[in-house]
Amino acid sequence: MAEPLQTRTRLEPDLRTRQPERRRGLGSEIWKHRYEYLAISPFYLLFAVFGLFPIAFSMYLSFQRWDGIGEMTFNGVNNYRFMLTDVEFWKAVGNTLLIWVYSTVPMLFSALVVAFLLNASFVKFRTFFRIGYFLPNVTSLVAVAIIFSTLFSNNYGLLNYILTQSGLNAVEWLNKTWGIQLAVSLMVVWRWVGYNAVIYLAGLQSIPTVLYEAAKIDGASGIQSFFRITVPILRPIILFTVITSTIGGMQIFTEPQVLVGNDGGVSGGGLTIVLYLYREAFVNNYFGYGAAVGWGMFVLIALFSIVNWKLVQGKSDT
Amino acid sequence: MTKIRFVLLALVVILTASGCSTETSADKKTTLTLWYWNRGLDDKLIASVEKQFPDFRINAQKIGGDFKSKLKTTLAAGSGGPDIVAFNDWVTEMFPNADRFYDLYELGAKEIEKDYLDWKWQLGVTPDDKMIALPIDTGPTGLFYRADLFKKAGLPSDPGDVSQAIKTWEDYFAAGEKLQAALGKDVKLTDNIGSIYTQVNAQSDKIYFSEDDAFIGEDPSSSMKKAWDLAVEASEKGLLANANGNSSEWNAALNNSKIASFVGAVWNKEVLQQAAPETAGKWRVARAPGGDGNNGGSFLAILKTSEHPKEAFEVIKWIQNPDNQVDTFVNVNLFPSAAKALEAPELLKEEEFFGGQATGEVFTESARNVKPAYFGPKYANLNGIVNRQLQSVALQGKNPDQAWEDALARIKKELLR
Repeated sequence: MAEPLQTRTRLEPDLRTRQPERRRGLGSEIWKHRYEYLAISPFYLLFAVFGLFPIAFSMYLSFQRWDGIGEMTFNGVNNYRFMLTDVEFWKAVGNTLLIWVYSTVPMLFSALVVAFLLNASFVKFRTFFRIGYFLPNVTSLVAVAIIFSTLFSNNYGLLNYILTQSGLNAVEWLNKTWGIQLAVSLMVVWRWVGYNAVIYLAGLQSIPTVLYEAAKIDGASGIQSFFRITVPILRPIILFTVITSTIGGMQIFTEPQVLVGNDGGVSGGGLTIVLYLYREAFVNNYFGYGAAVGWGMFVLIALFSIVNWKLVQGKSDT
Repeated sequence: MTKIRFVLLALVVILTASGCSTETSADKKTTLTLWYWNRGLDDKLIASVEKQFPDFRINAQKIGGDFKSKLKTTLAAGSGGPDIVAFNDWVTEMFPNADRFYDLYELGAKEIEKDYLDWKWQLGVTPDDKMIALPIDTGPTGLFYRADLFKKAGLPSDPGDVSQAIKTWEDYFAAGEKLQAALGKDVKLTDNIGSIYTQVNAQSDKIYFSEDDAFIGEDPSSSMKKAWDLAVEASEKGLLANANGNSSEWNAALNNSKIASFVGAVWNKEVLQQAAPETAGKWRVARAPGGDGNNGGSFLAILKTSEHPKEAFEVIKWIQNPDNQVDTFVNVNLFPSAAKALEAPELLKEEEFFGGQATGEVFTESARNVKPAYFGPKYANLNGIVNRQLQSVALQGKNPDQAWEDALARIKKELLR
């Protein structure tokens, strides 16, 4: 306790002499560097126009009733009240969480395995595979969704063709809640495995090979060194990917929209929060309500991020 | 430092100069901007507007993507919009904001009202008698059916006979049971539950709302419950292929002869020909069971921000006059909304895809008999709610009574906001 106090007292005379100078100087410093400030201003201006203003406006809008064209009328907290009592909103929240779990867990696990293999010395043509795994990430989402819809199509889909050819019954994938969620999750997995694998790969390459060599000498198997060396060292990177996939997973929209439409398919199995927001605002013309849903989603993502953050802290303490 | 200043100054000059360069080509002509979508109007006709009106310059822009969203954004911004804009059948969503458009009655629309099909004209008129949109095309409905399959099943196959034999939805379902019994489980009478619901409502003059926007769906005079019951009945009798429109599933089912018929609007002709080219020559069109109806059809409106409403009205009046509607039908297949245009011989051309039948006979007759209906600004919202429940009934076996209760409960919640 004494240490910081001492440093502060030591700094004080310094500060006292500097402060008036700085106060006078701040304005003139900015003026002196006005061209530099001007040069960096585009980012701040763009951020203000396309970032800050929409955020503030959506907050304002969430307390209004607005059909997108006519007059806005103040609506108090009615939008929020409607949202919290709307079964479809909670269903959308549930769907989003389920799809997130179905997609994130297998996605991150397979990404880790893929990264491990890409890093392994026994794999040939590693650059080719790295590009191959990353390719889905840069493919147009709409094209992906169309391909998946032909895979899962009820009567003429590839999956059902394989099922019926092998003597099994066809499954009406896109008429079932679980089927829609499976298809959407698979799309997410397919698209993001390579992306996360590349991140893991970067992490893997920072692990000193001596650790593996030592483990090998001690007689550890490949699986043992994967779970005992690779996973623990990669933990911060894994947590980073968990957080980014959480944010991405909460915002999932295009996959279900193109696959099963604005209603999220039969009984709304693919109705995610953003799809619900989109439908209410842009299809049903409740723009104020859409804004409220956006803030509801913000709260959810914030809660999730806090949970993740706590996890990060807990892990790094041990 | 002066160098940087110079660069910045140059930048500012370039930016401002490029901002106003569009205004340079000044001429004395009145420029009218028009927004429409591909095949929403006849391009040739638009090109000839300047010949017809030498004083006007027409700046026609095909707006791609989500047309409605772009229009709404422009309306919300309150400036920068076109003079003339095309609407689709969502015209009714614009009624609460009718003041954003010129009342065409004030610009002289009364004089030409008698030229148009009354029911279509009324769709563009708000309950307090403001006319915001002039009719372009219409979508009269008929029964599209496979003559070969009908014949195989021992049903009448000539369009006249089919129209005579299948007059009600009950007749249609009975024919469907006979058809499916004869042809086996691979052929279904029709495509999906939603299309039956939509088509029964399309034949009605009272659907969800009265003209004061009160919900009348539970009233026996409205068609909502009737359409629901018929749709559920078709599903329970197993007459549906459960292939939703606009999907590859639908195209495949039609091409593979798994769907023997459907009730659809005249524009389905083109959709069908593209979806199922292999079935060419086998299709016919008869009058729709349950009566004549309408699906879709578009409009032209003049934005309140336009500086030349009179000129704009002259132009749209000319584009949509009966003669030009006939040309438009020939060029881009938009079915006329002007009564006189329906008499044109061009509409009765024989079509190869329909086995040489002149399907225009069916559709012109249908168009004359559509009942004027009021849809109300929230029609699409309610339709979405009901269709979602119907989908659950047809595809997931939800109890129909429960689904009806759920639909009504949801509608009531919807109407409170």
